[in-house]
Amino acid sequence: MSHAQAPVPGLSAASGRVQPRTRNRTNAAELGAAAVLLFLVAAAIFPHLLSSFDPLGINPAKAFSAPSSSHWFGTDESGRDIYSRVIYGTGQSLLIGVTATAIGMGLALVLGVLGGIGSRSVDFAVTRLNEVLFALPGLLLALVFIAIVGPGVVTSTIAVGLSTAPGYARIIRSQIRAVRGSAYVEAATVLGRRPVTILARHVLPNAVAPVFVLATLGVGQAIVWASSLSYLGLGAVPPAAEWGAMLSAGRTYIGTAWWMTVFPGAFIVLTAGAATVLGRSLQARTRQENR
Amino acid sequence: MLKHRPVTPKMFRGTLAGSVLLALTLSGCTTAAPASTEPVAGGTLVYASGDAEPTCLDPHVGGNYPQALVSTQYLESLVSKNSDGEIIPWLASKWQESADGLSWDISLRDDVSFTDGTQLDAAAVQANIEHVQDPATASSTGYLALGKVTSTEAVDEFTVRLHLSAPDSSLLDSLSMPWLAIQSATALQRSKDENCQAPVGTGPFVVESWVKQDAVTLVRNDNYTSPPADADHDGVAWLDEIQWRFIPDSASRYAALQAGEVDVIDNAQPDTIDAAEATDSIHELNAPRPGASNRIELNAGKAPFDDQRVREAFIRAADINDGIDSLFFGTAQRSYSALSSIEALGVSAPEYFTTDVKEANKLLDAAGWRERDNEGYRVKDGVRLSLEFPISTNQSIPAEVSLFEQIQATTKEAGFEVKLSPMDLSSWYGALGANQYNLVSAPYTKVGPDVLRILFHSDAITPAPSGYYANHAQVSDPELDALLSEASEVTDANRRAELYRQAQDLVLSGYYLLPLYDQQNHYLVSSAVEGLRAMPTVSTPTFYDVWLNR
Repeated sequence: MSHAQAPVPGLSAASGRVQPRTRNRTNAAELGAAAVLLFLVAAAIFPHLLSSFDPLGINPAKAFSAPSSSHWFGTDESGRDIYSRVIYGTGQSLLIGVTATAIGMGLALVLGVLGGIGSRSVDFAVTRLNEVLFALPGLLLALVFIAIVGPGVVTSTIAVGLSTAPGYARIIRSQIRAVRGSAYVEAATVLGRRPVTILARHVLPNAVAPVFVLATLGVGQAIVWASSLSYLGLGAVPPAAEWGAMLSAGRTYIGTAWWMTVFPGAFIVLTAGAATVLGRSLQARTRQENR
Repeated sequence: MLKHRPVTPKMFRGTLAGSVLLALTLSGCTTAAPASTEPVAGGTLVYASGDAEPTCLDPHVGGNYPQALVSTQYLESLVSKNSDGEIIPWLASKWQESADGLSWDISLRDDVSFTDGTQLDAAAVQANIEHVQDPATASSTGYLALGKVTSTEAVDEFTVRLHLSAPDSSLLDSLSMPWLAIQSATALQRSKDENCQAPVGTGPFVVESWVKQDAVTLVRNDNYTSPPADADHDGVAWLDEIQWRFIPDSASRYAALQAGEVDVIDNAQPDTIDAAEATDSIHELNAPRPGASNRIELNAGKAPFDDQRVREAFIRAADINDGIDSLFFGTAQRSYSALSSIEALGVSAPEYFTTDVKEANKLLDAAGWRERDNEGYRVKDGVRLSLEFPISTNQSIPAEVSLFEQIQATTKEAGFEVKLSPMDLSSWYGALGANQYNLVSAPYTKVGPDVLRILFHSDAITPAPSGYYANHAQVSDPELDALLSEASEVTDANRRAELYRQAQDLVLSGYYLLPLYDQQNHYLVSSAVEGLRAMPTVSTPTFYDVWLNR
């Protein structure tokens, strides 16, 4: 059985070879990312304060209007204001991203801990199961799940969560294995602590912390995946103001009304980008603390 | 309607033009400048369909429009129609109804063979009718159209007699449809799967291969002898081959046409039709389908639409005219009829469809839907006024789905909750079969006003062998049944028209449906394609006269 570290980008840092450039200063990219995320969170909580139109309100007379001072991002085929729809869509997209990542994490914790502290045979079973899941590309796994359960926002969220779980599980397992072999766990064992206490007090906190940082990166990815599923018609149902569904509706008119796809697309990119930048910097900081 | 008209077989002509063309082809002139005005033989045409890929290429099985589109190229019917809507000979040379209307003698051409070498004869027609009526075939469109045919009889080698349970004023209309096209009796004896893969007919092209989810390859029938009486030329087709591809995504389909990868696309989107009008390289063929108009049906078979007031309220609350104008870029006209605008007996009644939210609210109050919940939807006895609307994304183009979203938005003001569920064709058939719908938009194409009987007679709530039933509004009205039955039997044209007028008035005033527009059927065609026309029967394109000018 191989105990080689999973080739997950960013995680090789756990062995502490990367020398961070910044110590405690925040750079411009991080500030920008934080500003974008703050704006998105505000949009998710108070969409009505940031936009002036009903996201579902139709106005056929104004269909296909190009961006203007009254409709910043233009209007769609039914005359709905795209800026308002993008703003109202933020809540759903963020919720999907966070929930899906939480589901993936929860499942990964169970699998990872079983593999990490279980007997050889349990570890063997969990690792093999994980490898089978890995054989399917993540999005394909999500599609298989939706094909069985049926489309919808809830199922697509669970599907995205499920499909990210194997990656996290593999990392958690190897982290736990690494921590189990450390001197302080050995010391705790020698001191006669009960196994449950050792697991709760020493192993889990040290093994899982880096993975939570990784989850920040995962939120961005989950949003992209959930949007992809909506784009395919498997997630949010029209006329819901959801970014992927808006992209899907706009693609029909991509030759004549570019604003129907560009703006929702830009928000997906912005969100995923901001989450990634913040995730990376968090990762760099945790590494420093670990040193 | 149509009485028997004596017809002589079509004269053969154009031998000279044919030999000139042959000479041109042999001397390699096909690559010359695209200035030809004489048809040029040869070449491969690529057709890209946005309709669902058929699950079976034999249109007897099931019987939907995607099957009709492709099978028009390789199968032929007993009769056809000309552009004036008159029945003209095709595989049948003449026909005679008996005095009591209970039998028809149909004489066949004696010089036609199927592409497997089998001769077209009376036995072949008998085998086809048997095939359509066999429950194992699971036919719906063809099966329903032959509802009155009880038995067949071969009078002689080339004359077949159909015995009917009652006179059928629409029999010839029915026989002109691609869903009742005549196939080789020998080929029909193969297994269902084999016949679905490559049906054998008498048409100008032959199914060579079918790679699922990619393309059907059709090659020219070099022994073709049976063009319909209104075709442009005689002899074999000009094209060597047709690649019949399936590109479900409308933007990709149009892009492929623009790039010259394909020559003809169907299900063209309104915005692309609008854009194509400005170019010289693409032109449009607009061929509205006959039979029913494109409409939303209100399922009167269950609550809440079992109450006529609720149906009327929904129709009064739906505001769609502005939406049709903006979404369809002027390519679709609002319909107020149950029938297609090309049906001469269609009745248009705008008075039943004026938008009036006030009136809608009054009707709903009267029907007991008085309270509203915190989302603004009406409630009665703790149940929300909620309507399931399954949408087949293979049949409803994106502009139409957007129109449904607008209906959802405007009817919300009156307190209706419309739940739109876009789905693929088989899930959609499933939802209809399980009666899990309150609203549905289902195209139904049939030649002639008898489509009213298919759609609104209470018998049509009983599923055909395929499991499909056409009366989605679940209209069950003995008075209407009587009108439709009588109309389908009378031969007096005036009486027939009057009966269909009364029947349509009952359907429209009963608020069973919300007509939208004709069943849209727009083709975009590369300017290199010459001679394309839609069959006057069900508006499918025929590539028999088509040649490539490039």
